[in-house]
Amino acid sequence: MSNIPLSCLDRRKFLRGAGVALALPWMETFSSPDRAGRESARRKRLACFYLPDGVPMPLEEDPSFKDWSWFPHGGRTDFRLTKCMETLTHLRDEMTIFSGLSHPAVRRVHGHRNADQFLTGANTGAMDDEYENSISLDQVFAAHAGEHTRHASLVLSTDGGTGSPRGAHTLSFNAEGRPIPAEHKPKRIFDMLFVKSGPDAARRLALSESALDDLMEDARSLKHSLSKHDQETLAEYLQSVRETEVRVEKARRWLDVALPVVSADGLKLDVTPEDPRNFLRTMYELIFLAFKTDSTRVATYQLGRENGVGISDYLARAVGFRAAHSLSHETKNPDGYKNFGVYCRFINEELGRFADRLKATPEPGGEGSMLDHTAVFFGSASSAFHLSRNYPLILMGGRKLGFKHGQYLKYGRGNEENQATAGISSDSGWQKEMNYTELPLSNLYLTMLQRLGVETESFGGSVETIAEV
Amino acid sequence: MPFKVVVLRSHLSQILVKKLLRVTISILVLLPLRMLLSAEVPQADLERYRQEIAPVLKAACAGCHGPKKQKGSFRIDTLDSDLLTGGDVSWWLEVFEVISNGEMPPEDADHPLKDEEKARIVDWLSGEIQLASQVRRSREAHTSFRRMTRYEYNYSMQDLLGLPFDFSRNLPPETSSEDGFKNSSEMLQMTAMQLVQYRKQARRALHSATIRGKRPDPVYYGIPMRAFTERFDPEYAASVARTLKRIREKDISLQEALQAEEKKYRGRPGGTYFRNLITGQGVKPRWSYHGAKYAWKPVSKRPEIPPAMQDVVVIAPNQKFVVDVGNGLPDEGNMRVRIRAARLLEENTDDRHLPTLRLYFGNQPSNDSRLSVNVGRDVVIDAPPGDARFYHWDVPLGEVPRNAFRDSHRLGQLPNPGEFLSLLNTSSAPASLTVDYLEIIAPALEQWPPESHTRIFPPRNEDIEEEVYAREVLTGFMERAWRRPVTEAEVSQKLLLYERLRPGCIDFQEAMVEVMASVLSSPKYLYLGRIAGEGEDGRRITDLELASRLSFFLWSSLPDEELLTAAATGSLSKGAVLEQQTRRMLTDPKVQRFAQHYTRQWLGMEELDFLKFDTKVHGRIDPLLVESMKREPVAFFSEVLGQNRSIFEFLDSDYALLNDRLARHYGLPEVLGHQLRKVALSPDDRRGGLLAQAGLLAMNSNGKDSNPLKRGIWILENLLNDPPPPPPPTVPEIDLADPDILKLTLKQRMEDHRDDPACASCHSKIDPWGIAFENFDALGRWRDTVRGAPVDASSMLFNKEELHGIKGVKDYLLNNRQKQFSRAMTHKLASYALGRPITFSDRSEVDRISTELREEGGGLRDLILLIVKSDLFQLN
Repeated sequence: MSNIPLSCLDRRKFLRGAGVALALPWMETFSSPDRAGRESARRKRLACFYLPDGVPMPLEEDPSFKDWSWFPHGGRTDFRLTKCMETLTHLRDEMTIFSGLSHPAVRRVHGHRNADQFLTGANTGAMDDEYENSISLDQVFAAHAGEHTRHASLVLSTDGGTGSPRGAHTLSFNAEGRPIPAEHKPKRIFDMLFVKSGPDAARRLALSESALDDLMEDARSLKHSLSKHDQETLAEYLQSVRETEVRVEKARRWLDVALPVVSADGLKLDVTPEDPRNFLRTMYELIFLAFKTDSTRVATYQLGRENGVGISDYLARAVGFRAAHSLSHETKNPDGYKNFGVYCRFINEELGRFADRLKATPEPGGEGSMLDHTAVFFGSASSAFHLSRNYPLILMGGRKLGFKHGQYLKYGRGNEENQATAGISSDSGWQKEMNYTELPLSNLYLTMLQRLGVETESFGGSVETIAEV
Repeated sequence: MPFKVVVLRSHLSQILVKKLLRVTISILVLLPLRMLLSAEVPQADLERYRQEIAPVLKAACAGCHGPKKQKGSFRIDTLDSDLLTGGDVSWWLEVFEVISNGEMPPEDADHPLKDEEKARIVDWLSGEIQLASQVRRSREAHTSFRRMTRYEYNYSMQDLLGLPFDFSRNLPPETSSEDGFKNSSEMLQMTAMQLVQYRKQARRALHSATIRGKRPDPVYYGIPMRAFTERFDPEYAASVARTLKRIREKDISLQEALQAEEKKYRGRPGGTYFRNLITGQGVKPRWSYHGAKYAWKPVSKRPEIPPAMQDVVVIAPNQKFVVDVGNGLPDEGNMRVRIRAARLLEENTDDRHLPTLRLYFGNQPSNDSRLSVNVGRDVVIDAPPGDARFYHWDVPLGEVPRNAFRDSHRLGQLPNPGEFLSLLNTSSAPASLTVDYLEIIAPALEQWPPESHTRIFPPRNEDIEEEVYAREVLTGFMERAWRRPVTEAEVSQKLLLYERLRPGCIDFQEAMVEVMASVLSSPKYLYLGRIAGEGEDGRRITDLELASRLSFFLWSSLPDEELLTAAATGSLSKGAVLEQQTRRMLTDPKVQRFAQHYTRQWLGMEELDFLKFDTKVHGRIDPLLVESMKREPVAFFSEVLGQNRSIFEFLDSDYALLNDRLARHYGLPEVLGHQLRKVALSPDDRRGGLLAQAGLLAMNSNGKDSNPLKRGIWILENLLNDPPPPPPPTVPEIDLADPDILKLTLKQRMEDHRDDPACASCHSKIDPWGIAFENFDALGRWRDTVRGAPVDASSMLFNKEELHGIKGVKDYLLNNRQKQFSRAMTHKLASYALGRPITFSDRSEVDRISTELREEGGGLRDLILLIVKSDLFQLN
């Protein structure tokens, strides 16, 4: 039957097959801790940061447009940073600013529901709807890079925990689309990274080992009663047990490896968001230390919860305001855009400080700085008031991963000067028809994943990449 | 990679099956009995080919498909005429198809086939195909050995543990086979990630089923509706109290009593409202999550239940009533919600309507984050006014979405840690109801330890040693989970695991739960098929395997004790016992799972879950109507199954399964209530059968307008099992920028498209089916006009048969395609029953069953019995 007409091959079924193939366990030789040194030259890292509630977006005729519009003025390379972003001037050649990107599935949802899908691109639905999410960018990378480190990823937020559906306190969602609780106490983060591993870990690993032996035994005895054909089906199960054994074995080896020695001197581990500047600095510093010690290569940090409800709203106190979220509402007050801009300027300053730390540290065992090997991604899923479009986004670092910087990249058509998404201050704005186009943000995510070495052809519904960055 | 082999293999079988189904039964009857009568290895009838067939084919076909020309890259004279061993079977199937359907030779051919010649070819080919099919049966491996599906895993865990929870939440979704089935062996993969999930899930499930420690003290809420108004609307409550007092003490009329009130609270506030049934005064309830101002607090002693009260909340249709329970509910255990309710008969309303009430459980931590999920069945409120009675729901608190801020935040803070119940009146007819008292008990325990615990850990006699007890517990658990007796070696292996784990565990129970989690992650639990045993002749499956095959077919789950006993005593495969057990299973409520999953998979109803209606065109669509549309095909299938009605009623019936919303949607006489029930149809009602069901019509639309192409493909693929070939790689798009094309009606556009030779061959087979449904819009509503023009729902099938609208389709199918439909149904049902694709070699059994089915009158139950008794089902 070799001459089946080619036209009979159903493309839909072929694609379905491809999906299954991708879902098959991806085999890799697990590195052991003692190989970490040799392998460090190939380290690739990802850090993602999220700012809730959007950024100042005054209209061109607004007097604050010149200084306090978040997006730069000018073109791809001849752009000028406004006062909002001035604090990143020294990193201009290490970063790319994007406009015209957003997640297509949620362009019409209220901005306060946006943190949930910032890194996933999922359609998380409207109020009262059933809630579904999908795997986040960082977790796709963690599934790839997490094998090399003690912690597959570090998930942080200022508010901590999972939050609630459409009110997430975490940027990270696992393969089933469930939120991964974020850690928010610096002391606990430090202890987890550098003081003690989970007290129950050794016992759990021992239980797993015995149970896996037992399952292997069951599979073997079942195999005897099966036909050759059925043995092939069961082979998948045996393979799954073996792979899990390898994972357990690897995790067990970490138990015998001493934790990195990191001094807590100079770290304010008891700081809370009531001292916002120091809190932010401490969180960034912990991520830096985790990267530096190669405790993990993946970190997410949600600076604040959407809609101000929570302790992250205190972050604006660092620059003399009562609360952060209300700054996004009060842009039409005297100095409204300026105040909001001053807050964003502070946020950018601390982001810059983190990038500086990476830039100033040579890559252990590799070339260039740690920043050259780290993709630092920052942004919000709202631009103007409650509007889920034209996300303000910055990508920094990762030159050794192949990223090109020193650019302001504008995507989509019809909103080149960000005016279609500017000047909104009421809820009628975010519901408006879109008479301009934007590109799916997941195009950028797919690009990032590929540069980070993940062999994938799609993410969050995107199959296209962005060549310019 | 093994996966590619699988796809290719199943693809081949798909093609084979597709072609084979076109063999007509009348030909089968005339089959030579060579194979059946001869003990020798059968041979192809090459002699007859040479003498009778080859010359005809040469004359009629070789002009275009011969040495000189090879139209369609096909040459007939070089095909290997041995179908048993040769490599050209798929080409022969193609030849068989085009000749028997009259598609070849083309109308304008130089050598048209004479009827006699055509019959000769068809006769020879069908005989050879049949023979080849039987020969291949003994050669080709096909097997039902497979992993449980996600939903089978869920039901098995439910039945095993005796808990109605969702145990499959974290398992990945299944990929459908080419037939649309999720239980098809070749699609059910296993990965390391999945294995980890199975282990976690098993442990979590066993923890829910078992308890430790002492009986937890429940918390109680007992809230009379009067307490709501007294607390949140004291002025209103005082006015009601004064009015009542005046009537009672001064013996004056209500009118007079109310006159003394400055604010009278008269009139219907609308929506949901509190009301005093004596004074008629009413006020709207207030609720906001913010600040937890409306939250109730639980108490530790059960409040005494007050006698029925006249202060009630009135919940009108489509209205809800929210009760904020704060953060006082425990993390897990069964929450019992009881309400005392009655119907409310308003003036001018029709008292035939019974209201239905649904319970939601939710939370709102902040203004943009709210979740509210349906946590119980719709309860019919049938208590008459003045005679309220209690209704209740049980909600597993550990299994439903909870407020993540319950422990970290205090009531009054933001994010708000509170939770709420919401009661929704789901009736669409004007049927209001009243509630005067609401009670919550959490956890509500029937017994302690709960049954799910003692089922796993039966009470232990103090004298029995831990090891002996462990053996007893494990043996019972393993036999239930693995649905067969277990060997001494198997139990010893698990005991060994227990001994290894015991030192690392805090107590006996923890170690045992770990071992049982291993029992439930074992391939002996997760994989179905192949249970070896005594008396096996290598071909027939064992009685135990038969028991599992039956129960996963009809219950999507493990066999019950009775079935296992019948299997263990070896009597199950005996005809009478098998029939008796199958009939018993068909009347068990668990057969609903079969109706649900088979119907959804057979008809491809997942599409409906993903469909988004265009609200710009259709306005807001009542979600309960959409829900009813999803339930209708399943309810209809259940009716046909339950009454052993003919499968041809799927094509047309003189009844439908409707509720209020569907009847209105269909423009049929009023039906009362949300429950689907059987309603007689008159011949002009245009509904009946599956074809005109709104959900299926909507599913095959694009949410905005009808889509004849989708509807046509669906008929061919799902109902007639005759999937059209996929579109060629370079399909020309319809040019919507062309103003001439824009002017055309949909039907004209499709006809225009069909003029394109690249599209014609397929579309002429698909489009006419779909166009006949043009009287139904994207929601499955009847329409006589579309965009101002009358609907043209007439079309001509490829074989020149004319179809006039829905009636035409039904008549045509019933008059001309009964055999095809019954074979398709047998094929689909057998594929589901076996959990594997039906292959070339199963064909003779499928044909035999479908023939017998029609002889027996086509009953759906009969079909199931025929399948269960067949070699298809009972042989390896």
